[in-house]
Amino acid sequence: MQNIHKVVDFVTITNWLLLLSGGITGLMIAPEKFTLGIILGGLIVAVNFHLLKSTLKKMFNPELVLNRGHSLVFNIIVKYYIRFAVSAIIIYLLLSKQIVHPLGLVTGLSVVVASIFIAAAFELTKSFFKEAV
Amino acid sequence: MDFLTGTVLAAGLAIGIAACGCGVGMGLGLGGAMTGISRNPEATGKIQVNMLIGLAMIESLAIYALVVALILMYAHPGLEAALATIGAH
Repeated sequence: MQNIHKVVDFVTITNWLLLLSGGITGLMIAPEKFTLGIILGGLIVAVNFHLLKSTLKKMFNPELVLNRGHSLVFNIIVKYYIRFAVSAIIIYLLLSKQIVHPLGLVTGLSVVVASIFIAAAFELTKSFFKEAV
Repeated sequence: MDFLTGTVLAAGLAIGIAACGCGVGMGLGLGGAMTGISRNPEATGKIQVNMLIGLAMIESLAIYALVVALILMYAHPGLEAALATIGAH
């Protein structure tokens, strides 16, 4: 149980580290709009991940699930769509006003996916070496 | 169908289909998780973490589709060339 919670902590920390390293790399080698895209895209998904985490922590309480059952699914999905709409408005403004470069934004938005893949690779490597020993 | 109509249609279809698919996927996953927790409340922690990772992946798919749709509408790489061609005719 503790190990599995460590994965989420690892993903959360890796999100911020990737965002920071992406931002610094962008500042050094990429144009201003591209870097702004990385930073703002990364911020959007990192904040989204935090909100998703807090929603699930609140909702996935065994007593609440036993009492309310599948109506909780509706609750979570409504919150998801609200979050998605807010992200959509922000991304719309960023792209339509041409504040950021689209490819930079896509790179920034990939921060959480990259963190999850890194966490998966890390866990796989760990289990592989455990079996080898 | 002219270029601009095609672009707008593609953008609408991209985000519409993606949001539908992601919504259905999330609903199925969450429903399964709720059933799992009801049957075995002790597994809540494990289910919660796996759900979090899965939902984050699904959510990012929807956001990618949204970005593709918005790029098609507002930052299309071939837009200027297409407008120049339309202007020339």
